Amino acid sequence: MDIFQKLKILADSAKYDASCSSSGSKRKNGGTGIGNGETAGICHSWGADGRCISLLKILFSNACIYDCKYCINRRSNPVARATFTPREVADLTIGFYQRNYIEGLFLSSAVVGSPDDTMMLLISTVTILRQEYHFHGYIHAKSIPGSSKELITKLGLLVDRMSINIELPSQDSLKLLAPQKEKDGILTPMTHIAKSIAENKQDHSRKKSLFVPAGQTTQLIVGATPESDLKILKLSQGLYQKMNMKRVYYSAYVSVNQDSSLPTLESPPLLRENRLYQADWLLRFYGFQAEELLDDTHPNFNTLLDPKCDWALRHIDQFPVEVNTASYFTLLRVPGIGVISAKKIVMARRQCHLDFASLKKLNVVLKRAQYFITCQGKTMYPRKELSPSCIESSLLRLERNTSPTSSALWGDQLSLFSHLPPTKEDKVKCLTGNL
Amino acid sequence: MPNWKLINQTLLYDGTFDGLLTIVFDCYTTKTLPQKIASHQTYEPNFLDKPRLIQTDEAKANRIFHGIEKVIGQDALTHSFYCFLCTEANKEITILKYLCDGFEIGPKINQKLTISYVYDVIRMHRKAFGECHRLKGLLRLQEVGPNLFYGSCHPDHAILEPLGHHFMRRLPNQNLMIHDQTHHLCFITNGKTYQIIEDTHLVIPTISKQEKQFQDLWKLFFKTIAIPERKNPRCQMQFMPKKYWQDLIEEP
Ligand code: SF4
Repeated sequence: MDIFQKLKILADSAKYDASCSSSGSKRKNGGTGIGNGETAGICHSWGADGRCISLLKILFSNACIYDCKYCINRRSNPVARATFTPREVADLTIGFYQRNYIEGLFLSSAVVGSPDDTMMLLISTVTILRQEYHFHGYIHAKSIPGSSKELITKLGLLVDRMSINIELPSQDSLKLLAPQKEKDGILTPMTHIAKSIAENKQDHSRKKSLFVPAGQTTQLIVGATPESDLKILKLSQGLYQKMNMKRVYYSAYVSVNQDSSLPTLESPPLLRENRLYQADWLLRFYGFQAEELLDDTHPNFNTLLDPKCDWALRHIDQFPVEVNTASYFTLLRVPGIGVISAKKIVMARRQCHLDFASLKKLNVVLKRAQYFITCQGKTMYPRKELSPSCIESSLLRLERNTSPTSSALWGDQLSLFSHLPPTKEDKVKCLTGNL
Repeated sequence: MPNWKLINQTLLYDGTFDGLLTIVFDCYTTKTLPQKIASHQTYEPNFLDKPRLIQTDEAKANRIFHGIEKVIGQDALTHSFYCFLCTEANKEITILKYLCDGFEIGPKINQKLTISYVYDVIRMHRKAFGECHRLKGLLRLQEVGPNLFYGSCHPDHAILEPLGHHFMRRLPNQNLMIHDQTHHLCFITNGKTYQIIEDTHLVIPTISKQEKQFQDLWKLFFKTIAIPERKNPRCQMQFMPKKYWQDLIEEP
């Protein structure tokens, strides 16, 4: 089988994994070897589905010995099978990297032979890249469920990021749809990685080798099983807190297999996936708790309003807030005010009192925020026009006019502006002209 | 803005960052504020203007450069530099006002976002930096000779130098040519040193069979990795506007 056929089969099999980030690596290139890391991450292209392409995302093999019901590569499916060699993957990665198609490699695999056999293949691939080619670009490897601790450690010392996908958000669903994977086979290695990362951070010796410096991630499939949004979000919250997870990705379930234990969905639940990403963002950067956004009486997200607007309307007694005095985290709870705007407000108000005109000058978008703030005691509209139902209908109108671009949350572009200044070395070199 | 004397004059410079810093030096030491600053290459004379060409003086430029670093801080240097790369008109006078005010106030100048020229300097910085960052991802290199890679781009802003630097550091073992077709310049590097030349005599060699194979593999990967059930051309276009497509290998 030639390399074109293999690439077609094994990229096709890898496409359902949502992870694409290439951020968090600071690997330097000292003038030898190839590549370096870019802390903010770089997107290299965008596919027809609007998702950012940053890494060569492939499976090493799709010849799986397992039979997970939701998976296209389950053993009982009659699909074409292919397996790369470590050399092929390494050469493809270098060729693509030299041409600036990619930021690095995202290598995953079906289980071939046994979990440990598969891990060995991944390790030898990454070893060629790091030790033979001296490749300092980004490598994200998927750890194979059920593999041994020693192999996980070995792989972790070579890659930037590691992930083990939970996929199904509860033990019952796991039993039902992925009977050969055990909960422990996922959580034990995950804990092992989290612990090793923490230990590695503690170790301050200069010669230490990096262990998964860009952190650990995982993925949850949304819509293949009956869990509520609340249950999923609580799971994510726990993963962020207990496993020190860098990111949890959500993947709207695409019906690829017919099976009585699977739902038949006409189209993947993209809106639901988008809501989870929005809420996830609120957990990580806005100081929200899962239990504030959803509870047993509202276990699922409002389909019409984003989670923050929805929360604000249910807590309208906490508004309006005064932009000149409200704390940073209070500002972040105002619909329409994001991290960048809140930072700008906090910075600018040290210099002068802010009114609505100065907010406009700062380019703070007021479309949503206007209903929830005061400037020096004044609201944008007379107070009696600000009944909760009025606000709600205005917000709904806004929401209808802005089509959801769920993919805005896929890429790295959001972090672009928070990492504005390039490295010092870059500045000096740029500014002083010829070297 | 400090009380500087407004003079009814247009100052011209050679279009380099050092040239602009020379003007900043002159204005700062004489406490005068010109009507307009323009590069002499793009300046169009008009009846009412009184243009005066200021010779670039490296010593003056260096003093201002280190002065900015010391008094206003690194960030002010980056803001001014990337703002300078931006193609908006009036960027020069905006930088001048920003820096002069900065010398009075110090690093706090960057917080005064309600002053229009402070806001504008930072906004233009973002614009130029944003394009540079985007091209770090979207530039495609093609092997056109043994270990010689060529990449073409059409940037709006004059970001070739920082862009070239990024690739020089990233791919130090490759010889690179990065061609800015908007400004007709080419960044050439062997991984250790670099030069920017005009593109008038540039001949772009053809690609080899092996190169063609890599391009075809990339096109195949690009097509395969999208999930058909999630097709979203609007979103794709939003992140990767059409004007970039001409220089890509893949066909979005
Ligand atoms: S182990 Fe992975 S590749 Fe194999 S069937 Fe399960 S999900 Fe699919």
